[in-house]
Amino acid sequence: MKNIYKPIKAVIENITEETPNIKTFHLKPAEPIEFRTGQFVELTVPGIGEAPFTPSSDPFVKDKMEITIMNVGRVTTILHNMKPGDTVGIRGPYGKGYPVDDFLGKELVIVGGGVGLAPLRSLLLHLFNDMDKYKRVSLYYGSRSPKDMVYKRLLPQWEKRKNFSLTTTVDVGDGTWTGKVGLVTTILKDFKVEKNEAKAIVCGPPIMMKFTTFKLIDEGFKPENLYLSMEKNMSCGLGKCGHCRLGKYYICKDGPVFTFEQIKDLHDIWD
Amino acid sequence: MQQNFYLKRDQLSSVLSEISKSHALFCPQKKDDDYVYLPWAQIQSEEAIYNEYRGVEPIKSFLTHSKEIVNEYFNSPDAPAEAKPLAVFGVKNCDLSSLTLQDYVFEQGVEVDPIYKKRRENLLIISSDCTGFKPTCFCLAVGNKPYPEKNFDINLSPINNGFVVEVGSSKGETLIRKLNQYFTAATTGQIAGSKIKRDNIVNDLNRHLATVNIPPANALQKNIQEGYDSNVWKEQMLTCVECGACNFICPSCHCFLLADEEKQGRSERIRVWDSCLYANYSKVAGGANPLNTRAKRLRNRFVKKFDFFPDNLGQFGCTGCGRCIEACPAKIDIREVLKSLAKK
Repeated sequence: MKNIYKPIKAVIENITEETPNIKTFHLKPAEPIEFRTGQFVELTVPGIGEAPFTPSSDPFVKDKMEITIMNVGRVTTILHNMKPGDTVGIRGPYGKGYPVDDFLGKELVIVGGGVGLAPLRSLLLHLFNDMDKYKRVSLYYGSRSPKDMVYKRLLPQWEKRKNFSLTTTVDVGDGTWTGKVGLVTTILKDFKVEKNEAKAIVCGPPIMMKFTTFKLIDEGFKPENLYLSMEKNMSCGLGKCGHCRLGKYYICKDGPVFTFEQIKDLHDIWD
Repeated sequence: MQQNFYLKRDQLSSVLSEISKSHALFCPQKKDDDYVYLPWAQIQSEEAIYNEYRGVEPIKSFLTHSKEIVNEYFNSPDAPAEAKPLAVFGVKNCDLSSLTLQDYVFEQGVEVDPIYKKRRENLLIISSDCTGFKPTCFCLAVGNKPYPEKNFDINLSPINNGFVVEVGSSKGETLIRKLNQYFTAATTGQIAGSKIKRDNIVNDLNRHLATVNIPPANALQKNIQEGYDSNVWKEQMLTCVECGACNFICPSCHCFLLADEEKQGRSERIRVWDSCLYANYSKVAGGANPLNTRAKRLRNRFVKKFDFFPDNLGQFGCTGCGRCIEACPAKIDIREVLKSLAKK
């Protein structure tokens, strides 16, 4: 019988600095790990502990995995001090991921906040695999400041994709920033999509998710077409340890992606 | 196989002694007003004791441990080590009901917990009818009977000079076959006698519960839902010292924490029982803590038991054993919380 608490060994092959406190770890697992975009894994530092992350890499690539991590806590601080060649562990993948079949033939509005662009990158790489399957993909990305934007090196490549548009904004600009300034909700307007048909996919910090949801509903998007990445302290990933309960759901096994329709009547969803 | 047998009272110790040859057997032993579980080897000099009501320890403590190693990292074997089968005598229905919940958590869902499954398969449950109750018992108020209905291997229902023995599983059937010299077919009179005793204990407990006045079982979920913003959570939480005793002693509570430890250069992953009353229960990296007050944490406990589990499993996450009432140093009483919510 499988030991569900045992991680697969993985070696850090490379580390990319995205921002002063966000790094992307390029991992080579000892055996291929299949995941669906939007599913998450528990990344382990042996002897220290584990933490949940959604891979930011292409779900069609199974022998490698990239995970973009912000330095915010005990495990992530140690991860940020690790070097290429160091060993970590991966458990998972867990959860249901994005219901990508529901996106076929649709106009997709994707909204990312800060490091929340990481899971969305994996979704974009899934979509980029065959953009003819979708009517149009519009990415809206907001970050605190220009230096807090992740994947700056990748954004120009993404913009070249057909049926794709990118709009970025920062909360606060700096001397070099010539783009839009303001919270991500300020760029969520003048949509050229059929709003009661389009799918909106949102990932970011809770406060951003909350106001983005309200804004999109105001704009005419339907609750059942709004896909939100919910987060709590997922520990086991299997719906057993009890920590990530959200109403009648466990985020780890019933999510982490929920439609707003599924959760809008539950208590304290933005806490 | 016929499902009801008769065992003479003075043969009980012999049967348990036989079971102890192939199982690590735990039996209840009277201590003040309580029954505590001890290994058979420590009590076999005396006669086996038939406990009137549930023991101190919940059945879950035989299936998950308060702290245990679940993984020794990349070299860890996949399957858990073989262990001597375990037998527990005198398990009551409040604990048997909780097994449905523990099984749901650990054996069903996206993956099976191999450690639990192994112990569960290895566990022989010799249950018995309640012949008395503690003042804190309230199983009938949450829809449970004071006698076993399922989740046992064999069950003992006492009659005058012995027990009507019911077989509840193939494991129980094998046991009866193996020890057939002790068992005879139960007569209809004996079976009828055990039923009368069951009716009597139900009546006695109902009379007691009438003085406690817990809201009806079919109103509990609705009361919790409607009382979400009630002051009851704050009022009832004033004395909580966040010790977690209510969780650890609860046969239904199943939450655990995974943590890593390093010992002499070896990394181990441990699993420890967790308490939703602890301040950091819901805290995430970065500092956010959805359950950041004791009132929210108490509410979370009740929502989980009386709203989440009815929705997901069709039964309460409370079997009415009353252990949390006795364990709480702050005198927070689950029955009083349910009553206060109904009043508001």
